[in-house]
Amino acid sequence: MAVTTVSIEGAGTSATHWLKWAVLGLIALINLYAVTLMYIQGETVFALVFLILVATGLYVFAAERAYVHRYIFPGVATMFIFIVFPLAYTIWIAFTNFSASNILTFERARHYHLSQTYRIEGQNYDFSLYAAGPETYRLALTAKTGERFISEPVELRIPDAKAQPPAATAPIEIDLTAIDTPPDQPPLAVKELVRLRGVMQNVVAHLPDHSDLRMSGMRQFSATRPLFQVLPSAQGGDGSILVNQQTKERIAPDMRLGFYRQINAEGEFTGPGIAPGFSVFVGWKNFLRVLTDPGVQGPFLQIFGWTLTFSFLSVVFTLAIGTVLASLVQWEGLAGRGLYRLLLILPYAVPAFISILVFRGLFNQNFGEINLLLSQVFGIRPGWFNDPTLARTMLLIVNTWLGYPYMMILCMGLLKAIPADLYEASAMDGSNFIRDFFSITLPILMKPLTPLLIASFAFNFNNFVLVQLLTQGRPDIIGAQTPAGTTDLLVTYTYRIAFEGSGQDYGLASAIATLIFIMVGILALINIKLMRVDR
Amino acid sequence: MAMVESQSVIYRKLAAHVFLWFFLALIIFPLLMVIAISFRTGNFAVGDIIPSNPTLDHWRLALGMSIIDESGRTIPPPFPVLLWLWNSVKVAVISAILIVALSTTCAYAFARLRFSGRSLLLKAMLIFQMFPAVLALVAYYALFSRITEYFPPLGLNTHPGLIFAYLGGIALHVWTIKGYFETIDKSLEESAMLDGASPWQAFRLILLPLSVPILAVVFILAFITAITEYPVASILLQDEAKLTLAVGSQYYLNPQEYKWGDFAAAAVMSGLPITLVFLLAQRWLVGGLTAGGVKG
Amino acid sequence: MADVKIDHLVKNYNPGVARDVLRDINLDIKEGEFVVFVGPSGCGKSTLLRAIAGLDDITSGDLYIGGKRMNDVPPVNRGVGMVFQSYALYPHMTVRENLAFGLKIKKIDKAIAKERVAQASAMLGLDSFLERKPKALSGGQRQRVAIGRALVQHPDVFLLDEPLSNLDAALRVKTRIELARMHQERGSTTIYVTHDQVEAMTLANKIVVLSPLTDDGAASNLEQFGPPLDLYHAPANRFVAGFIGSPKMNFLDGMIEEAGEQRTRIKLDTGISLTASVDSSRGRAGDKVEVGIRPEHTVMLDDPRADNRVTGTVQVAEHLGAETFVYLEVGGKDFTVKVRPETPAAPQSQFDIGVPADACYLFDAKGQAFPRTARFSRT
Ligand SMILES: Nc1ncnc2c1ncn2[C@@H]1O[C@H](COP(=O)(O)OP(=O)(O)OP(=O)(O)O)[C@@H](O)[C@H]1O
Ligand SMILES: [Mg+2]
Repeated sequence: MAVTTVSIEGAGTSATHWLKWAVLGLIALINLYAVTLMYIQGETVFALVFLILVATGLYVFAAERAYVHRYIFPGVATMFIFIVFPLAYTIWIAFTNFSASNILTFERARHYHLSQTYRIEGQNYDFSLYAAGPETYRLALTAKTGERFISEPVELRIPDAKAQPPAATAPIEIDLTAIDTPPDQPPLAVKELVRLRGVMQNVVAHLPDHSDLRMSGMRQFSATRPLFQVLPSAQGGDGSILVNQQTKERIAPDMRLGFYRQINAEGEFTGPGIAPGFSVFVGWKNFLRVLTDPGVQGPFLQIFGWTLTFSFLSVVFTLAIGTVLASLVQWEGLAGRGLYRLLLILPYAVPAFISILVFRGLFNQNFGEINLLLSQVFGIRPGWFNDPTLARTMLLIVNTWLGYPYMMILCMGLLKAIPADLYEASAMDGSNFIRDFFSITLPILMKPLTPLLIASFAFNFNNFVLVQLLTQGRPDIIGAQTPAGTTDLLVTYTYRIAFEGSGQDYGLASAIATLIFIMVGILALINIKLMRVDR
Repeated sequence: MAMVESQSVIYRKLAAHVFLWFFLALIIFPLLMVIAISFRTGNFAVGDIIPSNPTLDHWRLALGMSIIDESGRTIPPPFPVLLWLWNSVKVAVISAILIVALSTTCAYAFARLRFSGRSLLLKAMLIFQMFPAVLALVAYYALFSRITEYFPPLGLNTHPGLIFAYLGGIALHVWTIKGYFETIDKSLEESAMLDGASPWQAFRLILLPLSVPILAVVFILAFITAITEYPVASILLQDEAKLTLAVGSQYYLNPQEYKWGDFAAAAVMSGLPITLVFLLAQRWLVGGLTAGGVKG
Repeated sequence: MADVKIDHLVKNYNPGVARDVLRDINLDIKEGEFVVFVGPSGCGKSTLLRAIAGLDDITSGDLYIGGKRMNDVPPVNRGVGMVFQSYALYPHMTVRENLAFGLKIKKIDKAIAKERVAQASAMLGLDSFLERKPKALSGGQRQRVAIGRALVQHPDVFLLDEPLSNLDAALRVKTRIELARMHQERGSTTIYVTHDQVEAMTLANKIVVLSPLTDDGAASNLEQFGPPLDLYHAPANRFVAGFIGSPKMNFLDGMIEEAGEQRTRIKLDTGISLTASVDSSRGRAGDKVEVGIRPEHTVMLDDPRADNRVTGTVQVAEHLGAETFVYLEVGGKDFTVKVRPETPAAPQSQFDIGVPADACYLFDAKGQAFPRTARFSRT
């Protein structure tokens, strides 16, 4: 079939042919530009991934012999970007110190230091702004000596506060010229200056004598100079050593810690790390922390244990309730089976994020309806969210509620396949309902169910939404170095290490995520083996 | 199950009914409770299952209308629930359409065409779909902050970005659709090609119209998955006005500002349509779920 | 109208891994001929047909239709129409839409398309079903729609893959006759795959016998290509001889006693000698051979043409009314004979049968036929 499709393509008119190549060429150029840009910014990994994707994409759509691959390219590419790449990238991060304090790439950190400035004492100018149109102003400076300078109208737009990342805005360069008298219009009020403060901080004013001024106070501009400069090679610099222009101290990047640090004359590191740090490869350090550091290892093992218990019990409970209900609902003699089935499926039909939050409200210690009922009947008000055991019990109750309908649906499908004469034969032997269930129904169900149970185990192993929305892992484990809770599963634990609190230790989180990948991967392999055996 | 001994059958049926009703009462209790709470006065007050003095205040707030409390103050709706619902539906519908399109073209190639790497890709898809996105949230965040820098419309805090992220989850759907395609006689398309159809026309005019049922199933599954997805959305979306329902709803139960009644009304209002869609579609879905499940 | 020429065609679905399905096929099909492909299941009949249609590509060799090389031409441009064994009717379209689909795709003028559909539907008697979906048709009706769908394309070459195998016996005979009539009327080159001997013998101008490729030594799996009666009377080898004719030809082992240009004497393993009208001049006395005798070519002992006598033990006798088949065992081998109706033959009894020298076929140890010097006919 491949041969024929190729010739159909080839039969296209030459006009569309040229158009196709023009479009492909254009895409190639634009993307090549983007890749170069990324590479220059130090985003080697992303540049590489992007390059691979674009190159395969172009090949698939340009080469006739890859015609068939055009059908799968879009799907496979998205799967690559959103499943394979994040997986690989997570594993990569696990070997770095990527975290809130070491979030930049080396190039960016270096750039950050090089763009730091310091103020030169004594050269201060008062400044004022004059409106010259919508969001357009003229900047006027007055020196202590009475000299005056003014600029052409420039646009000063307040940046969108939500723009990401805010620090990346480029400086606004403004040239000023000398004048004798101030413009005869009132300058902007202080209130307006406050509003424009954010933009003004990015302004670099150039005076006719080539000195650069920056805003140094609410009403003041001062002469500034870059704080760091690269040590010239004449003085033994290799391009990596920076010199503090104020103190003349030298700093150099410590590639093991991911910070610039002060160095002495021999080139040895002496000072502490200077923020912001950059992310560097740290080898197995994060994994060693998980396995040996008591502040991490303790909570990790505890959470790992609970994750296994939780997943196992969830599967057992949902399976037990699911099979019993399924065999009841499949009982042909039972009136109203349709209605029962519909009502029993309800928990599955309600979106989980809603029902979990409903339970969070219902279990509330003081206002929750469950405690209301318990206190009326038994006079107790358990602290569902404060006591570790109760909190875990609550998680299991809610998860069973959420999960049994799926098991029931699966079992209903499988039960249909059991021939009725099996039961008739066993009834001849004087068996009863209960014994039938354990001696016929369950053993027959188990075989096709096993892979599904493993999948369900893996799902609960990673049941992020339940824990995040119900307890957020709380109550917390005392004495843990990282945020960790008694009801946390490994997934929510990694989430909290990565996104909660001040640490935001992405490297450690990724190391734990990598360990989970391995466990899930083993489960997946077992499952594929089992399914093949079944066939 | 043909019951051979009919003596005790009646007792057994009775016991089954009693058990089922008791169980159902337990199961449905939370759902009935929220409905009741949504009509109850105030956000803390505890009361009976059937509220003694029902109020529509929570519903007004959920529907985006302001209310006036006893002291005469105007209370604006705490959260833009309708907007969130709209965001969720928008994201879910668009991503479901794209997922159907992507997985159908993929499944077509896997079912019908021969190409290098076919069986390898199929197996890899089976394995990779076991890894949940939650585990790679850091990578997602990093990936999308890079995209934001170079192409903001698809970056963090945008709906297109979120939709884009959801397109990664097509592996299982590809398997489902592929299985269905393989039940359709291949000579139908061959015959179409002899009739002069290009592979694309054979796919569009012959195979697609015959696959509408399975595509509907995949659409609904993808829709429900997207509308209930929480972790990725919670990482990618930041502005209150951009949140999806799944991310926004939890703000109601903030310990500092506990809005139990308002939450109940919002939950019933937004959860009901999704529940109904699921119940209406469950006939087909159950087949699709078990088939997909048994096949892996 | 077009001729079809196949030149050293090889087909392998998975070169390097799998065995060839077709090897070194050479065929020269003249314009207007009705050619039938036969052979045991799995020998590659459908594959060859699909290669001609362009549904499978050719591993090596060339295919010409109407003198044009077609290896890389898409199916639609080869001027072929095909009827699939499963009919492959589009289930979501009515009969009319099914018939018109190809014309619509090809953007053929509406009026002409309508005319052609009407013509085909009238010819095949489909007028009253035009608005029905295929699901609402009987097997025979579906089959006619499938033929009609190929017909409206006005193909130069008509390809049919076991088109009658899903029909019951009566309908099969009826449709077979219709197909023959259609071919006479339209005269288009037709290639037809079947399992059925009778279909092959009655419809074909020429028959192609294919064999499954088992060992890698065989040079080709095209066993013979020729008119039906040539294949019957002068099979090129033991495979064709055993395949053409029903019931199958009987084979007895032996060796040449006395080679000759007109007549050959053979000593069978059972001990008896046999005279056959076969030119065995390329063989020598003592060569191992196999003698083939068709069940319908045996005669009674009292017949003057009974040059040889074969004796066997009766296993079963089948009295079909118009004829009787007796199944014998001769020297440990099955031997079927067709005799006059109601010939008595009690099981386990000895049964003698006459074999004319003109009725014998002779094959060498490699299965190649020795040329026959006469053709036997019973009447
Ligand atoms: N798509 C394919 N891939 C690999 N092998 C194939 C394919 N199609 C057919 N074969 C193999 O090629 C051989 C010939 O198949 P083909 O369908 O041509 O046989 P056939 O003569 O039509 O048999 P039948 O009379 O049963 O229809 C068989 O051994 C079959 O297994
Ligand atoms: Mg065949």
